[in-house]
Amino acid sequence: MESATQQSCLDCALRPDRIFCDLPASILAALDAMKSKIVCPRGTVLFREGQPAKGVFVLCEGRARLSVCSESGKHLTLHIAAPGEVLGLSAALSGGPYEVSAELLDNAQVAMVKRKDLLAFLREHREACLHVVDLLSQDLHIAYDRVRSVGLGRTRRPRTGSV
Amino acid sequence: MLSPYGLDIIESCLTCKMRSDRIFCDLPTAALQSFEAIKYATAYPKGAVLFVEGQAPRGIFVLCKGRVKLSICSTDGKTLILKIAEPGEVLGLSATVSGKPYELTAETIDPCQVNFVKREDFLRFLKDNSEACFKVAEQLSEKYNNACHEVRSLGLSHSASEKLAKLLLEWSSKNGEASKQEPRVKLALTHEEIAQMIGTSRETVTRLFADLKKRQIVQAKGSTLVIRNKIALKALATNS
Repeated sequence: MESATQQSCLDCALRPDRIFCDLPASILAALDAMKSKIVCPRGTVLFREGQPAKGVFVLCEGRARLSVCSESGKHLTLHIAAPGEVLGLSAALSGGPYEVSAELLDNAQVAMVKRKDLLAFLREHREACLHVVDLLSQDLHIAYDRVRSVGLGRTRRPRTGSV
Repeated sequence: MLSPYGLDIIESCLTCKMRSDRIFCDLPTAALQSFEAIKYATAYPKGAVLFVEGQAPRGIFVLCKGRVKLSICSTDGKTLILKIAEPGEVLGLSATVSGKPYELTAETIDPCQVNFVKREDFLRFLKDNSEACFKVAEQLSEKYNNACHEVRSLGLSHSASEKLAKLLLEWSSKNGEASKQEPRVKLALTHEEIAQMIGTSRETVTRLFADLKKRQIVQAKGSTLVIRNKIALKALATNS
């Protein structure tokens, strides 16, 4: 991992399309001040399941595989995270260990925010906290869909199959 | 006030003695007063369905008393129980926040007191109360953690005996039993319901319990299960 030029979130053209990043300028400036932007090559493991949560990783560019692992080392992919997603959010909020491992599938740009800073930021900025609630709800929908497909062998969304 | 189901209904959150122990309810007085104005205190008998998977979200249900079974169901009627929700939990949260259909079905397994809040009122409440918003984020995090645990258990466990051993160890780690050499587990669910928690059949669960008893790993005392050999149960749980 290497530090990238500290590009400001305020200049990012993609932020209106991203739940977490679409914040008013004053809040984004506060986010800018505490984030560290890093460039990581494909295959980098941002965090491993079971590690204490150090913070969150905002995926600016690139994708990441979120997976769970058994004691015997078997992996199960939970979700492929797309740019704009915030990884490690629930663990950072609850203070527990990361529930999943996150491995980059592409060369990526990631903004890291330390847990302590994130908690203070969310307490101070209600709007950001609402965005986080939205993101967590989405994460939960994805996780429940995965439980459904693993446990019952189906997905809720009907497949658009050929006639 | 006594309800028809023998519940002592807590009318006001402000006077609830339990709220300091509950993540969502432990709010500042001003936020609790706003919550009081939008909530409906209701009582349900055992077996009542609060909401059904796929239904448009009407609002959230704060579980004050009793327990609720959260499950998902396949079109052929196969049911998987994700969790038995305990008092203090907020049900229907992610669907209410996102506006997507409820992902689970919630059915009471005891007589329950539930505080219902309509979706629009709840969203407004969150916008106005940052502390409540933060607590909702914490609750969602806990639910996410639980869902990941469920995926891991269902998708990566090798056998039904491994899943049952994991479930028994999980239950035995609650209520201060974890440190005991022979922890006790109060079996509040039927074999059918346990089967639905680990994604197997009722017959398999009955057979596995008989095997655990025969090997003296567990011993049944009425509806309580005593774990006689924790090491052997752990070995089963880790498939070693």
